[in-house]
Amino acid sequence: MTDKRLYSERTKRTRTADDDRAARQDARVKRLSAVMYLNARPLYHGISQGIGGGRFSLVTAPPAECARMLVEGEVDAGLVPVAALARDGLYRVVPGVAVGCRGPVGSVVVHSERPIEELTDVVLDSSSRTSVVLLRLLLRRRLGREPRYVSMAPERLGEQVAGTTGALVIGDESMRLRGRFPFEWDLGGAWFEWTGLPFVFAVWAARAADLTETDVALLAESARRGEAALAEIAGGDPDKLRYLREQVRYALGAEEAAGLQRFFDLASDAGLLPEHRVSFFGERPRRRSSLDGLLGKAAAGERLSADDAVRLGEEASLFDLGAAADAVRCRKHGDAVVTYIIDRNINYTNVCVTACRFCAFFRPVGHAEGYTLSRETLAEKTRTLVEAGGIQILLQGGLNPDLPIEWYEDLFHWFKTEFPTVAMHALSPEEILYIARITGITLERTLERLHAAGLDSVPGGGAEVLVDRIRRQIAPLKCTSDEWLEVMRVAHRMGLRSSATMMFGSGETLLDRVQHFLKVRDLQDETGGFTAFISWDYQHDKGTRVVPGETGSHVYLRTQALSRLVLDNVPSIQSSWVTQGPGVGQAALRFGANDFGSVMFEENVVSAAGTTFCMDEAMIRRHIEASGFRPVRRNMRYELLA
Amino acid sequence: MTLDRIAEKVRAGERLDIEDGVVLFTTKDLLRVGVLANEVRERMHGDRTYFNRNMHINTTNVCYASCMFCSFARLEEGKPGAYTMSLDEAWGRLRAQDGNFLSEIHIVNGLHTGLPFDYYEELLRGLKRIRPEIHLKCFTAVEIHFFAEKFGMSYRQVLERLRAAGLDSLPGGGAEIFAARYRKKVCADKVDAEGWLQVHREWHRMGGKSNATMLYGMIETPEERADHLLRLRALQDETGGLQTFIPLAFHNEGNPLRKLPEPTGFDNLRVYAASRLLLDNVPHIKAYWIMVGEKIAQVAQSFGVDDVDGTVLEERIYHMAGAETPQGLTRKELVRLIKDAGRVPVERDTLYNVIWEEGQSVPERYSGVGANAGAIHLPVAS
Repeated sequence: MTDKRLYSERTKRTRTADDDRAARQDARVKRLSAVMYLNARPLYHGISQGIGGGRFSLVTAPPAECARMLVEGEVDAGLVPVAALARDGLYRVVPGVAVGCRGPVGSVVVHSERPIEELTDVVLDSSSRTSVVLLRLLLRRRLGREPRYVSMAPERLGEQVAGTTGALVIGDESMRLRGRFPFEWDLGGAWFEWTGLPFVFAVWAARAADLTETDVALLAESARRGEAALAEIAGGDPDKLRYLREQVRYALGAEEAAGLQRFFDLASDAGLLPEHRVSFFGERPRRRSSLDGLLGKAAAGERLSADDAVRLGEEASLFDLGAAADAVRCRKHGDAVVTYIIDRNINYTNVCVTACRFCAFFRPVGHAEGYTLSRETLAEKTRTLVEAGGIQILLQGGLNPDLPIEWYEDLFHWFKTEFPTVAMHALSPEEILYIARITGITLERTLERLHAAGLDSVPGGGAEVLVDRIRRQIAPLKCTSDEWLEVMRVAHRMGLRSSATMMFGSGETLLDRVQHFLKVRDLQDETGGFTAFISWDYQHDKGTRVVPGETGSHVYLRTQALSRLVLDNVPSIQSSWVTQGPGVGQAALRFGANDFGSVMFEENVVSAAGTTFCMDEAMIRRHIEASGFRPVRRNMRYELLA
Repeated sequence: MTLDRIAEKVRAGERLDIEDGVVLFTTKDLLRVGVLANEVRERMHGDRTYFNRNMHINTTNVCYASCMFCSFARLEEGKPGAYTMSLDEAWGRLRAQDGNFLSEIHIVNGLHTGLPFDYYEELLRGLKRIRPEIHLKCFTAVEIHFFAEKFGMSYRQVLERLRAAGLDSLPGGGAEIFAARYRKKVCADKVDAEGWLQVHREWHRMGGKSNATMLYGMIETPEERADHLLRLRALQDETGGLQTFIPLAFHNEGNPLRKLPEPTGFDNLRVYAASRLLLDNVPHIKAYWIMVGEKIAQVAQSFGVDDVDGTVLEERIYHMAGAETPQGLTRKELVRLIKDAGRVPVERDTLYNVIWEEGQSVPERYSGVGANAGAIHLPVAS
């Protein structure tokens, strides 16, 4: 009797809480992002016309940006390219409506002077990941072709078409190019010929909790109104109207869903996307795979979604993560060798205008303790390095307004003349952007000039966490995530290699860290220019002003292991013993790391916050050996030296 | 013997033998040895990691023994760096903590040939006069043996007189490595293994609790490490009086062995794990953060360790051997060190009565100045 009463009370309470939550959910304005292209407009036409009565707010953006806003929680739902469903694994799909095609679509086309089978290079717009995956899938699996892919800004794609170089152009730009080149390979058409199924490019997606039934119904209604208003949307242009009416399809029924699932199955089989099962609003939630299954998948090197990675980060034990990361590490690098490099960290100036809240190293312009190293000092430091067998310097500094590009060009020229055998691993993206800005030239030009002057590779510092919400909190004056990535994209395109880093523990969520990994992985898919990934936790002590989040060596090992599992396309993971101490640095070698960084002659940035670990070459070798590995020196490109 | 066989034994609850010990102390398979030790640790203690609020006082570093690994001792009064505190000075260390909650004082000293037995008894009495409730964990078996010889008493007599003066339990120092070969080379002036074990045996028979240590990373062989642990396990089978085992890594600064490389973090983690697996009857394995640093102390909590020692306040012995760790941590820092390792911090007294556990609120009595406001509580008898 008592039990029954308690039970019914509890049930009632729970239901009330749920009702409240649903009511709150219902009352909140839903933020939506949608692809800005013409073909997507019918889907949000009703919303633009005000259905829902102020229930929705809408921003339009390029496809990748819509997906980014959704995963980073800046919007509640997004009309996103379908690749985002598999990449993130976090969303359900609004049924019934989509942007798709059944046969040629006209707006996702490879334009070229030669037939598709003869192309050796394809330039493309990296902001449309779905089209890029579809192209790679079709070429790899349908035609058995692997051309070089080079990404660039969409408005420049047409200029690149020549000989055996084609361009994958999407959206309105592709329609503009129609008829310009002799060969046009329509991806919608190729897909239909191959599979006999429709292709779905974009869908409304959201986390299960973020859309109510009413929201879902209104989104479907919005598209119905759009379909009824195609002429209005085409703005009187008969070509556009024909395109919207005849080539684009807005239905997402059983056949389209089958096409969508087929795409995910083929793309995951080809290693282009994580495995994914489409899940629709209104369906019963699917049972999740077991944690062991997921660990097995990770250890086997299969591509992980954001959801997979978050789940591993939340639920897997330290040792399960370690064992999976160790399996991946051993498959990539064998079980015998750990590499290291003899280089020297030189901080050429501590004068910096950025004033990051976690930094204890910088001094503002005009401060008595501000310095810029003289050439004599630099030469002396480099000579010590060369005497110790060193082959690289890592040159980084603050953003010093008194140093224009000519200063760096002179320095690099002089340095390469004095020390021709020493590689110049210099200037993090932040510094490169700053040099471009104060010199008043483009990023491309800046990198070209620095490269010509002797820059060999770009260190991946200053990435912190590549989620702008976090960057604004901890380093409000630093570049955005996209800018950071763009510097690397341009550098890689020029043949410069770079590393990538992450400083975590400054208040971000696990999903933020995973998003950081995925942004690096996405760019690596595009360029292949990253040599290694290095992560560490925020070193908080004197002089730092950010309240630490999840930090410490335990979280470090978990995070590093997870980075090894997610970054399936980045060759090396470096143990950060400089921040973690030699002992944890050793343990890190069983949690995914295959590289032990470099000899530390000096370190100024982390040590300004109180962390100081230094090792010479003999100590590095001893620590690697004591961990059961053979130490082998490497160069900047992570090539083993005998 | 392989790790597979060891894993089977551990999971079946079978005891490990000396050969298993050698495998554990030499394996390069850090993950597997860690997984096993962690299983045992979680079976015994779940997610709890213990710490206490203690202070160390070393009242003299004058010591007739010349152990090769020691950077703390000075042979005679008057030598550079030698010191002996007056009783008032020693008591003053505690008085200076006025308002700070402490549950334990840890005292170990050099073997000073010129101090009367009174000095030690009065030292304890005075500390109890200042804080009657504080737990005094003082004098290693090496010192007890030294008192017995110097003052012509049996171990039992020494221990009884010290207990009457306020001694509550014995620390675990001075065990080093039990093997006779090793002691002859490294610490010939110290009590032998039998003597060390006998002091603890007597104390346990009197109802007392004590700890045990192993100093590793010098000339000992893996067999000698394993033998050391198995001798402790045998004593524990007999008496049940050991609470905590504390592996101590050799540090090489300021002593004659400065050319000998120190054990690396890899070895430290492996020793913790091996100790957890071999000492199946000792409740706690402690990572002394002063010695291994906060970073390894954090990771060690997944390699068999369930205790990270305490606030310490003023460590001298390891710091004279080059330890670069702070000389003390605040309670808040210790709690964070444990929580960031994914464990649940539990403040204990010396006998592992729970004083506070994460998530519980805290009686006024133990809060006190500098205690990180609002954070403490009453000992609960176990």
